[in-house]
Amino acid sequence: MHERAPLLQIANLVVKYGHIQALHGVSLDVQPGEAVAILGANGAGKSTIVRAVSGWVKPAAGRILYAGEEITTLPSWDRAARGMALVPEGGHVFRDMTVEENLRLGAYLESDPRTVRERMEYVYTLFPVLKERRRQIARTMSGGEQQMLAIGRAVMRNPQLLVVDEVSMGLAPVLVDTVFEALRQLKEEGVSMLIVEQNAHETLNVVDRGYVLENGRIVLEGMADDLREDPRVQAAYLGG
Amino acid sequence: MSLWNILLDTLTQGSIYFLIAVGLTMVYGILKILHIAHAAVYTIGAGVGLAVFKLTGSFWLALIAAMLVSGLVGVIIYRGVYFYMLDQPRIVPLITSVGLFLLIEDLLQKPYLMGPYQHAFPAQEVFPSITLPWGTIPNAQVMILTLTGVALVALYLIFTRTRLGLAWQAAAQDREMAGSVGINLNRAIALNFLLGSALAGAAGVLVGVFYNSVYATMGDVPSYKAFVVIVLGGMGSVTGTLAASFLLAFAETVLLASVGYVLPRDAIAFLVLIFVLMFRPQGLLGR
Repeated sequence: MHERAPLLQIANLVVKYGHIQALHGVSLDVQPGEAVAILGANGAGKSTIVRAVSGWVKPAAGRILYAGEEITTLPSWDRAARGMALVPEGGHVFRDMTVEENLRLGAYLESDPRTVRERMEYVYTLFPVLKERRRQIARTMSGGEQQMLAIGRAVMRNPQLLVVDEVSMGLAPVLVDTVFEALRQLKEEGVSMLIVEQNAHETLNVVDRGYVLENGRIVLEGMADDLREDPRVQAAYLGG
Repeated sequence: MSLWNILLDTLTQGSIYFLIAVGLTMVYGILKILHIAHAAVYTIGAGVGLAVFKLTGSFWLALIAAMLVSGLVGVIIYRGVYFYMLDQPRIVPLITSVGLFLLIEDLLQKPYLMGPYQHAFPAQEVFPSITLPWGTIPNAQVMILTLTGVALVALYLIFTRTRLGLAWQAAAQDREMAGSVGINLNRAIALNFLLGSALAGAAGVLVGVFYNSVYATMGDVPSYKAFVVIVLGGMGSVTGTLAASFLLAFAETVLLASVGYVLPRDAIAFLVLIFVLMFRPQGLLGR
């Protein structure tokens, strides 16, 4: 079906924290231009996949390929250099820096100041509140604003692949809408995405495909529309 | 003790504290490692500086050599030792650092290196003494104040105007995330050790010239006193360290002038430390 190599391919990934095994051989892929969700309950191992993909944790076994090349043991900055950007759980904004400094750091690998300014303007159209707050110190902002800043910072990378971890966690419903609307817009512009979420309802409206993770194993995969109709998904994640 | 002398002593002593402690602060800020062996790097700087000064007679060559060698030793300590402990509990590099400090200091006491003696470092004449309407600044203090001033301006520019400075700030605030925005942490941290250690090496030379004395155990007091400074400064904050250096120097100078016959300088420093930690455990300037 696909002529090109998947943008991201994870094969038989095993991650252990000490004696606790968080992932028991997970395999999944993201095709170029595709948005893919990983759904699952708290503690299913979703965030561990993100940490392994980002280079924040070393897998005990398995491989991670990016555009056909092995990145399993590459440091995080080499992954960023290849076109990956991360919106980690909790945002991880640079807390003592202003909004604008955070955004500039998102484009750390971009040397042309004009490109950086253009991207910053683009981020400000995605999240106008960030423009109002551009001189504000990140730690003094609300959780929702910090999440928007984290997304904005990742967009500053102009990524091929955006990896998003639990972006809706702890957000007021109106902010959840804003955030997912931004993700939808980025997808339309061709950014590939791996979205890890507990909020299955919103996520399935954005992504093409999804995987369901339970206790460190993938138990279900399918197109977004099929997953939405799946009784197991409805019972577990859609409250229906 | 006149006001002028209090001012001069505070500035001189504060400058020395800052030059030694700033490297520790930078390392602690990013790696959260209490790098005790930094004081050995300072002694190495003094030793190398003196050796090159004896060889060439040039203070400037001595200073540059001391900074280069100290910087390199710092990088070697990071890449050769701490690098393998980054994921360990912080107590592991801390204990290693104490071991490393004692190891280097013991080695330096060997007769083929510094031996158990004090060596004179007669380079005071390189700088003129300056007479102002309020008093005179002796030449060794002119040296310390000017060179610390240069270092301060350079640090300020590096931290606020360069990509490297931005990378350091980002890494100090969130190391994992700094990597994920594309900052090469291995390089950024190595350069952090390079600069911090070079400044410690410079401090070694300045102290050696100021007291006209270089010896293998000269790092003993700075090894723990630098911690007074970085704890007071709020652990990991460069501006906090700057303020704490001069604050401590001021407290020491004033107390020494008034109750110095009971309390020696170092006792004062640690009294201040204990007192502050009892009431403000996050440091004077910490949040």
